[in-house]
Amino acid sequence: MNIWEKMLNVDRRWIFLAIGVVSIIPFLIGVGMPITTTAEVESIFNFVNELDKNDAMFISFDYAPGTQAENTPMGVAVMRHAFHNNVPVFITSYFPLGHGMAIGALAYVTNPSIPGFYQHVSFEEWEVFRSAGITDKDELVAAWENDGNVLPEGARGWVFEGRDFAMLGYAPLFHLVILGMTASIEAQYPQDVNGNLLNEMPMLLEHKSLREISLALTTAGSSACRAWIVYGREKVGVPIAFGVTAVMATDYFPYIQSGQIIGQMGGLRGAAEYEVLLAQNEITETTDKAFTGMDVQSAAHILIILLIIMGNIAFFAGGFHKKTAVKGRG
Amino acid sequence: MYETIGIWVGAFFTLAIYSFLYKENPVYRLAEHLVVGISLGYTMAITWHVTLMPRLIEPLASGNHWILLVPALLGLLYITRFIPGIAWLSRYPIAFLMGTAMGVGFPLTMKTDVLRQLEAAMIPFYQSGMPWQVVFGNIVLIFGTLAALIYFFFSKPHKGLFFGTGSKIGIWVIMLGFGATFGFTVMGRISLLIGRIQYLLGDWLHIIE
Repeated sequence: MNIWEKMLNVDRRWIFLAIGVVSIIPFLIGVGMPITTTAEVESIFNFVNELDKNDAMFISFDYAPGTQAENTPMGVAVMRHAFHNNVPVFITSYFPLGHGMAIGALAYVTNPSIPGFYQHVSFEEWEVFRSAGITDKDELVAAWENDGNVLPEGARGWVFEGRDFAMLGYAPLFHLVILGMTASIEAQYPQDVNGNLLNEMPMLLEHKSLREISLALTTAGSSACRAWIVYGREKVGVPIAFGVTAVMATDYFPYIQSGQIIGQMGGLRGAAEYEVLLAQNEITETTDKAFTGMDVQSAAHILIILLIIMGNIAFFAGGFHKKTAVKGRG
Repeated sequence: MYETIGIWVGAFFTLAIYSFLYKENPVYRLAEHLVVGISLGYTMAITWHVTLMPRLIEPLASGNHWILLVPALLGLLYITRFIPGIAWLSRYPIAFLMGTAMGVGFPLTMKTDVLRQLEAAMIPFYQSGMPWQVVFGNIVLIFGTLAALIYFFFSKPHKGLFFGTGSKIGIWVIMLGFGATFGFTVMGRISLLIGRIQYLLGDWLHIIE
């Protein structure tokens, strides 16, 4: 077996090991390679940036744990952006397994040990203010702080359950749920996952159906995201944005070109771009996990490109393109 | 305490799954089976807590919403598949779902995936003041779409200037699409690895933030 044959028959476990090593080192040395933003992600950012407390949006966690490394940073980034702009967020899920992903993402954004967190106030805690008719976000924050509540150090703001977000979670046959929400959100979700009645939530009273929603972002690991276009966009014209896994990204570019979605975050790269935009606009202090992961992404891609080049050199230099089978592979 | 245990369990099963890269082993098999079992168990629990209880059992128990008995009974007919004598009854909920999905979904899907896409492909090559990059993009879009469609037109032999050259260009266009998809796929797979490494080095070992 000559050198070319050895190269083409290398034990794949050496390649796995090399990818593993290359994927760990950048985390340890922290390269911090720059990331340029693309029009598809900027358009989502700019759209969300124009929204305020009078708008409302959906963030749907339409994926299972298998793709959370790609999808969760997208949902987290847009949720932070919405909370920063005081845009009420309805949080849903297409799948039962996505239900936990949605709860996990909200817990991450409101976790006091994570820099730049938002201080969570449960629905019961601010009932007195709600009963007194104080539901406007600015007035509510003023009244809440006048009542002796102090924003914890490191927190970027308060988020009131029912005012700033509603955790609706999973509902079966979700494409029909989207269709139903074009008439009434409350009819599909009479209560949230914590048992709070939606008809007592100020954000629901101000935005009763998808017709009154300014944006729906679906973070998806499957074609579930299409349901938002078919039943949301086409039915009532709600603007849709995609946050999809890299594997799916090319499938949905035609929807951008046709104007059916306002933009798309494709894979970890898309999430990293959104994190960069948040940091550049001082909405967050720093970037987060997606950006950190892009160093590894670059290093692994360089290794894979080198392996492809080496494999092709060995294939042609060894004259295997003239043979019907590579020696050692039957 | 419970969080720490959870992180250690997660780390163990992450490593158990990755042990397959060396060779198949019982620890990998255990992890694989647990993934399937736990996913199903979790789905059942979620379905019970967020669907059956609040949307069916509690409304019925409150004495109102008797209309819910209709979909409940229709749903129960699925179970008749396990009873050979009356298995045919399970066709009713399936027929109901199929009919509803087709009736509701077909017009909207046609509009989304066919009419809107056709509309988006019917664009002018050039308009006054259009940047050259956009003009070039429009030309690539229109001729690329036509070439790919010619490749999938099998009623005529792929010979001659129109069908022969058109289908060859179509193959190139399709290959470029596959190449982009492959590139994104590699990125996606590496991203999943990155997620696990962040978990192992960060949440578990606390080596990175």
